[in-house]
Parts: sequence; C-alpha cells; structure tokens
Amino acid sequence: MIPFLLIVPLIIAMALIGIIPSQSMPKYLALIASLASLGLLFLVPYGVYNLDWFTVGNTGIGISSSINPVSMLLLVVVLLVAPIVFLYSLGFMRKPSEQRRFYIEMLAFEAAMLVFAMSGNYITLFIAWEFLSLMSYLLIGFYHQREEASRAARKAITIVLLGDLAILAALVILWNATGSFSFAALPSNPVSLYAAASLLMIAIFTKSAQFPFQEWLPDAMEGPTPVSAFLHSATMVKAGIFALILLYPLFSAAHLLSVFLWVGIITVILSTLNASKEKQIKRVAAYSTVQELGLMMIAVSIGAITAGIYFFLMQSFYKSLIFFSAGAVMESSGEEDLEKTSGLGQNKLVYLTTLFGVLSLVGFVPFSGFFAAIGIGSSATSIPIYIFLSVIGFSTSFFMFRWLFMASKKSSNPKAERAYATIPRSMVIAMAILAILTLAGSVGFFYLPRFLNVQNFYLNGFLGSLHANFYDPIIETALAILGLLASYIVFVHNKKLYNSLIPIVYNSAAMNWLYSYFARLVYWFAEGVGSFDAYVNDSFDDIGKAIRLSGSGIRRFAVGDINLYVAVFSLALVAVLSYAFITGAL
Amino acid sequence: MMVIDIAFLAASALLLLGNLALRIYGGKRHQFSYNIALLAILIVITLAEMQTTPAHTLFGVLSVNPFSLFFMLVFTAGMLAVNLLAYPYSEHYGDFAVLATFALAGMYILSLSNSLLTIFIGLELSSLPAIFMILLSRRSIEAATKFFIMASIAIALLSFAIVLFYGGTGTLSFGKAPSSSLLLFAVILFIASLGIDSSIFPFNLLIPDVYEGAPAYVTSMLGGLNKKVAFVALIQVLILLFIGYRSSFEFIAILSVITMFFGNIVAMMQKNLKRMLAYSSISQGGYILIGIATSTASGLSATLFQIFSHAFAFIGILGIVAWLESKNKTRIEDLAGLSEENRFAAFSLTLFMLAFVGLPFTTGFVGKFLLFLGAVNAGLAWLAVIGIINSVISIYYYARPIMSAYAGKNGARRISMPMAVYAATWAMLALTVVFGVYPQPIISIAHNAAAYLFSI
Repeated sequence: MIPFLLIVPLIIAMALIGIIPSQSMPKYLALIASLASLGLLFLVPYGVYNLDWFTVGNTGIGISSSINPVSMLLLVVVLLVAPIVFLYSLGFMRKPSEQRRFYIEMLAFEAAMLVFAMSGNYITLFIAWEFLSLMSYLLIGFYHQREEASRAARKAITIVLLGDLAILAALVILWNATGSFSFAALPSNPVSLYAAASLLMIAIFTKSAQFPFQEWLPDAMEGPTPVSAFLHSATMVKAGIFALILLYPLFSAAHLLSVFLWVGIITVILSTLNASKEKQIKRVAAYSTVQELGLMMIAVSIGAITAGIYFFLMQSFYKSLIFFSAGAVMESSGEEDLEKTSGLGQNKLVYLTTLFGVLSLVGFVPFSGFFAAIGIGSSATSIPIYIFLSVIGFSTSFFMFRWLFMASKKSSNPKAERAYATIPRSMVIAMAILAILTLAGSVGFFYLPRFLNVQNFYLNGFLGSLHANFYDPIIETALAILGLLASYIVFVHNKKLYNSLIPIVYNSAAMNWLYSYFARLVYWFAEGVGSFDAYVNDSFDDIGKAIRLSGSGIRRFAVGDINLYVAVFSLALVAVLSYAFITGAL
Repeated sequence: MMVIDIAFLAASALLLLGNLALRIYGGKRHQFSYNIALLAILIVITLAEMQTTPAHTLFGVLSVNPFSLFFMLVFTAGMLAVNLLAYPYSEHYGDFAVLATFALAGMYILSLSNSLLTIFIGLELSSLPAIFMILLSRRSIEAATKFFIMASIAIALLSFAIVLFYGGTGTLSFGKAPSSSLLLFAVILFIASLGIDSSIFPFNLLIPDVYEGAPAYVTSMLGGLNKKVAFVALIQVLILLFIGYRSSFEFIAILSVITMFFGNIVAMMQKNLKRMLAYSSISQGGYILIGIATSTASGLSATLFQIFSHAFAFIGILGIVAWLESKNKTRIEDLAGLSEENRFAAFSLTLFMLAFVGLPFTTGFVGKFLLFLGAVNAGLAWLAVIGIINSVISIYYYARPIMSAYAGKNGARRISMPMAVYAATWAMLALTVVFGVYPQPIISIAHNAAAYLFSI
C-alpha cells in the first residue's frame, strides 16, 4: 500500500480544486500537493506490494506495485520535475478561466505517471498506460478552440490508442499462456512469447514516438508549454523506454532487441534531419526529443542499460529547460518561427539558463549531457554504431546552436524588449532550478552504478557498465565544438553562406534521396492516420455527407422507413435460417 | 413459502394497487413518494432474500433463485431511478407511474420465470406498457408506432418459436432440449424475436428511431431496463434449453461481432446526443453477447456484470439528457458551455462516457475486462480481440460530448437541475464508481447467479 500513498496528496488537491470555486487557489494547491508527494517519497522503501482488487472464479485480479532502483529513479524524475513545472505554470498560465481544468488534468497526469512508474504487474501497467493516453489527449487538445490543437490531439490519441490496443491484446495473450499477470512470467510457448513481445514493442513505439509513429509528438506541441515540457519531453514519452527496461528480460528472450536498435537508428536519422529543417521553435525541440528517445532505445538495445538510464534521467532536466525557454521566447517576442524570434539575450538570467540547457544537450563538459553522451559512446562496442553516434552528436550540436542563435538575435522590437524584462519571476526561478539540476546531475554519473547495484534486482546481469574510455571525452568535446563552430559560421557569422548553404544541405541529391526514401515511408503512415482522422472528423461534422456516400439505402434507414425495416428484418431472418440449415450443425 | 416471500408479494401487490388507487384519489406528489418508498422497500426485501433464502419455487410457476434475484435487484433499482427522472418531466406522471409499475411486474415475472409461458407473459407485460408510456408525450406518436410494430413482430415470432418448441418437446417448462432440426429452427426464431428488443444487429434497425423519438425518461427505461429484459430472456432460453446446441452459441458470437461494429461505426456519425447513445447502447449490447457466446459460467457472470454496469450508466446519462432536453438541447454541439452552466452535469456526463469506454475504476472497465477474460478462458480469444478493437474505436465518439461539455461558451449562466434528477444522477454515478473501484460484491452475486443457471 505504501507506494500508492504518493498519489494521495495529488488526489486531495484535485478534489479541492474541483470543489473550491476560487480561481486563484488551483495553482498553489497543485504546487503544494506536488511538493507533498515529493516529501512522501522518503517513506517509500524497496519491495513489492500487492493489493487484491477482485477475484473471478479462481483468477485474482490485483494491483501491484514494485519499487526497485529503476522505478525509484523514474519516481524521482516525475516528482522533481512536477513542482518545477507547476512553479513555471504560476507565471505562464495566466488566464484565470483555464486554470482549474489545467491543474486538474496535470495533477491527474502526474498521479497516473507515478502509478505507472511503480507498477508491478501488467494490470497496473495497463491501467496507468491508459490514463496516460487519456491525459495526454486532453492536455494536447487543451486549447481545443484552435482547430490545429484538436486535430493534433486526435492524431496523438489515434496513434497512442493503437498502442493501448496492442498492450491489451498482449495482456490477453500472456494471461492465456502463463495464467498470470506478473512481469516475471515468460510464456514457454514461442508463439505466445513472440506475439506478446511484438505487441508490447508496438505499444512502446507508439508511446515513445518511434518510427513509424513519431509524427504525433511534434504535432503535440499544440499543447501549452508546461505540458510540452512535462508530458512530451520529460516524463510521458519516456514511458515507452521505461517499459522497455522494465520488460527487458521478455524482449531479450524474444530476440527483439535488434528490432529496437534498428528502429532507434531510423528514428534518430529522421528526427535529426527534421530538427535541422524545422522552423517552429517548439517543434525543433520536439524533434530533438524524438531523437533522444531513439538514442535511449539504441543504448538499451545494445545492452548499455545503465548508460541509457543515466541519459533518461538527465534528459528530463535539460529538455524541460529548453522547453521552458522556448515558452519564454514565444511569450515575449510573440513569434513562433525561428526566423522571426529574437531577443533571448535581452534577459540575462533567462539567457544564461537556456545556455546551460543547450550546452548540456549538445554535450559540453561539465554538464550532465556530456556524461550521458560519453556513457553511451563508450558502451558502443561496434565501430559503425560509434561512428553513427558521433555524426549524430555533431548534428545535434549544429541544430541546437542554430536554435539558440536564431532565438537570441538582436531584437528591433521595443515591445518584445519590455516583455523580456518582465518575464514572471516564477518562470525564471523554475528555469534556474533546472539549470542547477542540469549541472548537479553530472555527479550522478559516478554514483549511478552503485545505486543500481541492489541484491535480488531482476535486471542484475543485464545492466552493463557505465564508464568512459580515455578518448571518449575528447571526441565528444571536439564534436560539440565543431557543431558550435559550424552553426556559428552558418547562422551568425556569414549570413550569405547560410543562404547559399540552404539549397546544398536541403536539396542536395544525396539528402533528397535519403530524405525522400524514409520520409515517404513516414508520410505514408502519417497520411494514413491523417486521412483516417479526417474521415472520422468529417463524419462528425457532416452526417449527411457520410450518408449520401453510402447510397440511398442507408438514407432511408436513417429516416426510419418502416417498410424497409420489415423487409430487411425478413431478409435477415431468412439469411440466418438458411445459414443454420446449410451449415446444419446442431 | 417463506415469510420473506410473503413480504415480497405483499409489497409488490401494494405497489400495484396503491398506484392505481393514488392515480384516482391522490395527487402526483403522493403517488411519487409512495412509489419511491415502496421501490426502496422492495430493494431491501430482495437484498435480504438474496442473503437468506436458498432457491425455491412459488406456486409452482415462479422460481426464486440467485439468478432471478440478481435481476430483480437491477430492475427495481433501475425503475426507482426512472421514476425520479420521469417525475419532473412527464406531463402525466400519474399514468406513467401506473404503467411503469405494470412493466416492473412484467420484469419480475420474467426474472422469476421457470417456463416459456411465464417468459412470454413477462416479456409482453414489460414491453406493452412502454408503448403507452411513449404515447403519453404527444410529440412521440411516431416513435410509439414504430415501437408497436417492433413489439408485434417480436410477439409473433416469439409465439411461433414457443409453439415449435412445444411441438418438438411436448413441454413448456425449462429443461434441456433434445436435438432436432425443428428445434434449431426454434432457436433461431427465439434469437431473432428477442434480438429485436435487445437490439441485436440486424434485427434492431428501428431501435435508434424509438430511442430518439421517445422522451428521454422513457428512453432511459427502454435502454436501461427493457433491453436487459430481452437479454435475460435470451440467457434463460439459450442456457437452460439450448445449451447443447453449439451452433447457436457460435451464431451468437457472430451476431456479437456485427452488433459491436454496427453500433460503434454508426454512432460515430451521429450529431444528436440521444441517437448517439442509442447506437452506443447497441454496441454495448454486442459486448453483452460476448459473455453469452462463451456458454460458460465465468463468461455469463461477466455478462451479468456488464448488464448491471450498462443499465445504471445508461439511466444516469439519460437523466442528464432528459434535463438537457427540457432546455431544448439535443445535439452534441449544444453541450458547449455545460461545464459553466452546471458543473455537476458536465462532470457526471464525463464519468458516464468514460464508463462506457471502459476506463479503469468504473464498472464499465470491470465489465469489459471480465468479458474479455471470459472469452479467452472459453477459447474465444478472437472474440476478445474484436471486443478490444471495438472498445478502442468507441473512444472517438464518447470523447466528443466530453470535449463539447468543456468547451467554453460566451454568456453561459448557471442552470440548476431538478432535485429528483440530481438525486438519480448522483445515485447512478455512485453505483458506477463505487462498484468500479470495489467490484467484488457485484462480481460475487453475478457469479452465484451464473453458476446457479449452469447447475440446473
């Protein structure tokens, strides 16, 4: 029971927000509740807790929580980031009328994420997963008056529901094969094993926005910025990676790790290309998130679980930070297009924290991103993967500095200048806290292996090491600096070069080939989802159109023609009777 | 006959006679309070009977057993809620209440039946008053006509099926039927005739018209109770008489699949909230059929749970629809601003919709989960997978009213809900959530009921 205590403050706060009519209370209640949950974390020990829910015949359906080092780390991330996000929201979500809904949904999301982190069997995992999908849907569509927002929300739910479906089907298969909902039970029958593991793999790809499901995540940036920072970079999208680590023995038994590796590689390539090309300030960051998720997947699937976990933890802090500054830029300069945004440098403190985030993301010493990068790099024993990771490291540095440079151009707009000067203090404090965590997290590199070294931990033997070869830091730093230089030359120093490079980078034959080859696959899928989505939407909008399409017969049904009804009924009866007599089976 | 049976019969008789008397000599309010009080007493008696008495027969024609008691409980509680909804909105509550009492008597007879004769009487007694209940609202003549036509087809086919059964076996009481092709013909006719009221595709095509055309408080009874009555009859006929006919259960599985798909796909295209709910209840009927198709006790107990779950969630949401209807809001987009006009209504609408989707911690989740497990247990994993697919696509249309309800609207003012409707919605909400979080009591009695049916 004890682990579930963590969500009690959140539920109390949700109830209070629902009951108290005051419009200024919700934000403080949410902040206090999330801090209270963080405080309760100290009461949570390692171990497994089972709670019977109901029994049918001899099958017991139970909720189970299992706290082990990995789930503890995810709990820490969620519980640390939540109060910071609520602090940022104090200044960011200023419209009083939308606060109640925002905070209730965010608190519900946090509760679902905590339950997900501590889930100890498939039932609990599924329930939490389902709630995550629902909350993500509601929060992406938060500004549902905007057509793009509700379209993005529908696209996200379409893809994510596919994952829910897969997980439920896997659950049924596993239960059929093993008679239990425990993570430890591996089906002995190979068909069930492969089927269940593949379905779970699909679910992971949908949730963590991996190829070919990655398109929903950039679209999800239609949600408010705190949502993008909390759900769509720091916590929820990593549910898939967490599930991969949680179910590692299953995937390893089903020999699916190489699929994870290849999907990770494809996703990383596509998202890096997109991130270099994208212009909307939050979408660049979103593509970068997709890329990082792909890198985590690569790390875990080549057996560098510890390195993957370290990356997983640190990315939460600096990525939220990047989103926070994107929000600040959008609010202050009133622009979302990187070509037009400007003036980030006006507010020194905000600029400094953003710089921390960017430097960490691209891997400069001594930020945590540097250690994450060398941790993965040194575990990549095969030369091609090492080279691949190096190229990606350089490109990341290139497009992130592009992002920074273009957001901090000199502003000529005095109104924006004033806006930068008056960024609410709570937003700046939230960013500063994250900047400190980004730096302080580096220490974790040296403690993580010891933290994970716990007796009877089911991942013992899978974890891999976390170390650095002597040349890794040098290569990593060189790549980051090269990216910085390239970016500086192209985007700041020599604007002419930028204008002449654009066609070369984005229209060269090789790029076009690569891009169109993969992009066509992606767009094929995205268009498929999009057109299904559009179909559903159109039928919502216009029943008449749908009916006319299906011919006059259905139209007559719709107006309830009784003769037709009797005719159809008789026909159905005749059909049924002939079916029964033709098959003849009793 | 035991004391508690006498108490039950006395209370039922008092309900019938008292209603008639109060209709003539009393006022609307007296009749309403009398009804509520007696229905509450009947619930208590049924609960007590469930705890204390073993299965036995009354007068040789009514069989009191866990199965019948389960449904008497559901029907009594549902009828109580329907009364709460009808009181503020029906122009002729007095007549409505008398008719509702007759319908309830029919439901009791059907639940307690131990022969095809009582099934016939029970079904007719529960569905004929419904025609007049629809007619009480002057605007609904068309819906009443359609319901009348449906009911007559159902009666004709049912009597034909019963005659065939008598011809094949020489008896009307429940007992396993020998196999013969004449009786196979009877099974199909039973399924088709009961499929009309339980809205199984393709026998259900007028149902959405009726649900949409009838006043919302009557629709709550039609979808919440009358439909379930037909399911109860179907369960009794199939399990008690035709358990040996494997093909009829395969046939139910096929009907379940097409019913789910039909209900879900057409529901996506609806603009009118009540019509959407009608199609949604068709697809929910498809889930209910999954459990019958398994022809096992665990599958059947899941079906009973799902009937419990859908009956109360449906009545609950129709309460909100009735209230909206009285404010002339019938389309889904008219829901805009609901969260500002009445926060409770928007909140409970959301919860009922999520219960239909099958979100964890509502009865809808437990019901569907049990159904899927039951199907897998019975070797019908493919049916479970189709059920899962359907419950996923249903999110599309169930989410729409929620989105609408929380959409802003300029100049929204608070609108209050009549006390009776408020109480009914609260009660249904409590049933949906409490037994979603703690489903064990309902699972136990549903399991007992299903196991009893398989033990005789």
